[in-house]
Amino acid sequence: MTTGGPSADVRARRPSALAEGWRAYRNERGGVFGLAVLVLVVLLALSAPLLTDPAGLDVTRVEEAPLRPPGAGHWLGTDESGRSVLLLTWWGARVSLLVGSCAAALSMVIGTLVGVTAAHFGGWTDTVLLRLTDFFLVLPALVLAIALSTVLSRGVFTIVLAIGVTSWPQTARLVRAQTLTVQTRPYVERARALGGGHRHVLGRHVLPAVLPLVFATTTLTVASAIIAESTLSFLGLGDPSRISWGAMLKSAMDTGAVTAGAWWYLFPPGLGIAVVVLAFTLCGRSLETVLNPRLRGEGR
Amino acid sequence: MTWNPTGWFFLDTYREGVITMRVSAVGVRTARPRAAVLLSLLVVALLAPSAPFAHTGTAQTRHDRAAADGEVTLRVGIQQEFDSLNPFLGFSLAATDVFRLIYPTLTTYAPEDFSVMPELATEWTSSPDKLTWTFRIRKGVSWSDGEPVTAADVVYTFERMMNDPAAATANGNYVDNFAEVHAPDARTVVIRTETPQATMRSIAVPIVPEHVWSGVDDVAGFANQRMPVVGSGPFVATEYRPQQYLTLEANEDFWRGPPTVDRLRFVNFENSDAAVQALRKGDIDVARELTPAQFDALDGARDIERVRGKGRRFYEIVLNPGATNSAGSPIGTGHPALRDVRVRRAIDHAVNRAELVDRVLGGYGTVGAGYLPPIFRRYYWSPPEEQRRSFSIEAANRALDEAGYPRGPDGIRRGPSGKPLDFEFVLHGDSATDALVGEFVKEWLARTGIRVRLLPVSDNQVNQRTTAGDFDMVVSGWSVNPDPDYVLRLQTCGARPDPGGGGLPDSFLCDRRYDELYRRQLTEFDESERVETVKRAQRRFHEMATGLILFYPNALEAYRADRFSGFLRQPAERGVITAQQGYWGYYRAEPTERARTAGGGGGYRSAALALGGALLLGGLVVAAVTVHRRRTAEHRE
Repeated sequence: MTTGGPSADVRARRPSALAEGWRAYRNERGGVFGLAVLVLVVLLALSAPLLTDPAGLDVTRVEEAPLRPPGAGHWLGTDESGRSVLLLTWWGARVSLLVGSCAAALSMVIGTLVGVTAAHFGGWTDTVLLRLTDFFLVLPALVLAIALSTVLSRGVFTIVLAIGVTSWPQTARLVRAQTLTVQTRPYVERARALGGGHRHVLGRHVLPAVLPLVFATTTLTVASAIIAESTLSFLGLGDPSRISWGAMLKSAMDTGAVTAGAWWYLFPPGLGIAVVVLAFTLCGRSLETVLNPRLRGEGR
Repeated sequence: MTWNPTGWFFLDTYREGVITMRVSAVGVRTARPRAAVLLSLLVVALLAPSAPFAHTGTAQTRHDRAAADGEVTLRVGIQQEFDSLNPFLGFSLAATDVFRLIYPTLTTYAPEDFSVMPELATEWTSSPDKLTWTFRIRKGVSWSDGEPVTAADVVYTFERMMNDPAAATANGNYVDNFAEVHAPDARTVVIRTETPQATMRSIAVPIVPEHVWSGVDDVAGFANQRMPVVGSGPFVATEYRPQQYLTLEANEDFWRGPPTVDRLRFVNFENSDAAVQALRKGDIDVARELTPAQFDALDGARDIERVRGKGRRFYEIVLNPGATNSAGSPIGTGHPALRDVRVRRAIDHAVNRAELVDRVLGGYGTVGAGYLPPIFRRYYWSPPEEQRRSFSIEAANRALDEAGYPRGPDGIRRGPSGKPLDFEFVLHGDSATDALVGEFVKEWLARTGIRVRLLPVSDNQVNQRTTAGDFDMVVSGWSVNPDPDYVLRLQTCGARPDPGGGGLPDSFLCDRRYDELYRRQLTEFDESERVETVKRAQRRFHEMATGLILFYPNALEAYRADRFSGFLRQPAERGVITAQQGYWGYYRAEPTERARTAGGGGGYRSAALALGGALLLGGLVVAAVTVHRRRTAEHRE
């Protein structure tokens, strides 16, 4: 029992459960819309090196006049060095999405580990881990992230670390609560009675029951991580060697694009952030609804 | 075993939750109106007091209400913070600009052409060997607290700088060579120097009152923020809020006559866009350090006049030539390859200055040359054709190949020790110019097999890293005085930091031949000889290529034409309003009739009143509604 995988019966049930989940998800109009937008954005971001010429990002190679309004040659105008804003926004999506998802994944891993450990072992472990969680919860995340990214060397992964390390407490709390309820179920009790160790109970029973919830939360965390990344880049703490939406907004502010009335420089990255965050939020909410029949019932 | 495949885990708990929710909803209903009233009252009470004070944080103070009496306030928007109001410590442009307004100097520079003219000293003579200088101190000048300004104050200031290393931080170059300073009588100062010193007629050291400063034991720790600051310039600093504003009142007893405005205020802005918006709204009168985009955008704006002045700043990239401190021991984290002058020259070849002026400055600047900016025509030196390192990626690649830095498998060149040429380029984090220059330089150097990693940090960190030698490449730049001694000294061995910190180094050049030329120009009194020596020093600096002078940016400013009809600019031809070598621009501002009759920009005040009114109204509505709800609660149930 401790070594074998799920029984053939369970294995057969898994795809059908997925299919049922997808059916439920399809009924969420917002979720489908969000997913469609996300797929589109991700595909575009991934295909940027194939569809566009990165030489257009090299300031020494562009010929266009700076801060040109949208026109035929450059649909979204140009930035202060004559680069196409469309191209910048396109490439900026890559960093924003990368940092957003990596940071969310990191926060998910930390949050799940802390939450499950605290709930499962209880007692001292629980107290210590919970106080640690509380500490991070009351600390203003942005301030901590700023401090971290100032101290560590510049780079994408510093930002990922700074956001990931500061955004896990909510996940940890949620996972802990969920683990507590799962552990009172009769089947967990039965597994224990049959001699299942910590590893077995956690790996075979608790984690699979908690993961769907974690998944839904992570989707929502991505949205806030993207905002956090843009904020940090806007404050000048991002990776200066890569274009991101926040960094675009920062250079627009620094060059005086607002005074110059260069709306085309501020609008695309801002819209990009808003759309992607909205899409992630819609997906996350729909996932929650699918996984939580209570919400589903009320939604109709 | 059972495995819960879809995770319907909420089933067994949620019913309970719904029940409790319903219970609590019922329980709260009666209590809510009172709580809401209390809450709304609390909110109103917390917010209301902020309205009358809202404008103190944004450039306005109670003084402005007196503007109706015909008083004029000149409000200048600045983006740099005052690094220190202590004249012995502050060296930022913002701070030195204030020191010129509140402290006297022995001499000053004429507004027309930067020629030396009397200030606190009415006349001066030197001995035939140029080692003893005698200054006559102006009669009838007094400090703002009524004490007379005497020769003793001058002696005290110089002696303090000679004896206290902390007091020599900002202007130490002037007194390095002083042997003795004394005052035979209350109106005479005699300075004896070790060797002849050519800068004796232009000592830009703020003179401080002895009766105030003799009580200061620790200069390095003294902020000089007790208002009003005792001084003797055309203005008196009266109110200071760090990162918000500094207010100066006109000194009616100033010996040259009172200034044309009654008050001067420097208002801090976080970014230049905010300053420009404030200028457009009329909340400030002068905005400076505009970006080219802003300068172009203000073209034709109503009531706004633009000033494009010849800048006296140079903008350079410092290549760390192996920084050492004054004891000669290596400091910092400079890349060993940059100690090779051939690498530094190759990098110079890979920088296209004309392109930078065109694309980064939008044409508002002059291509960089030797060292000193062309505004000071006499000292300006531009490398002749055969010495100029013109832009050529091929030449840079060839030079690096010949110097023995072959490309590795990844295309990055390797030094003799096998260390890749991978340089950290430190930039000012919130400067658009730095960001763009960084991008350009990075791309150009990438084509020569050198990797550059951009590192934008805060201004303070740039200064710290520069002083500590913790950089491979860093952006630097200085405003040059009409007498070039100050910036020339930055490249000498004497400017290197002390082992314990302090010091104001620039490129850590520390070259024997350069130092020799520096010493000679300092002791040279024949004008044309000195100019020649200064040019030779610049040539040496160019040869060593520790600092690559990229360009001399124009000073871009704009002012409210409805409130000020003009300013005394320095120099007369294409001069600037702010950050002059002297107080002329502020002292001789020309307010219009309108500025005298109408108060300065009520924008913030009316906004604050409107906000306060809206809050009060909102509070009243909330209170009325809740009262109404409570009264009719039984009926609705």
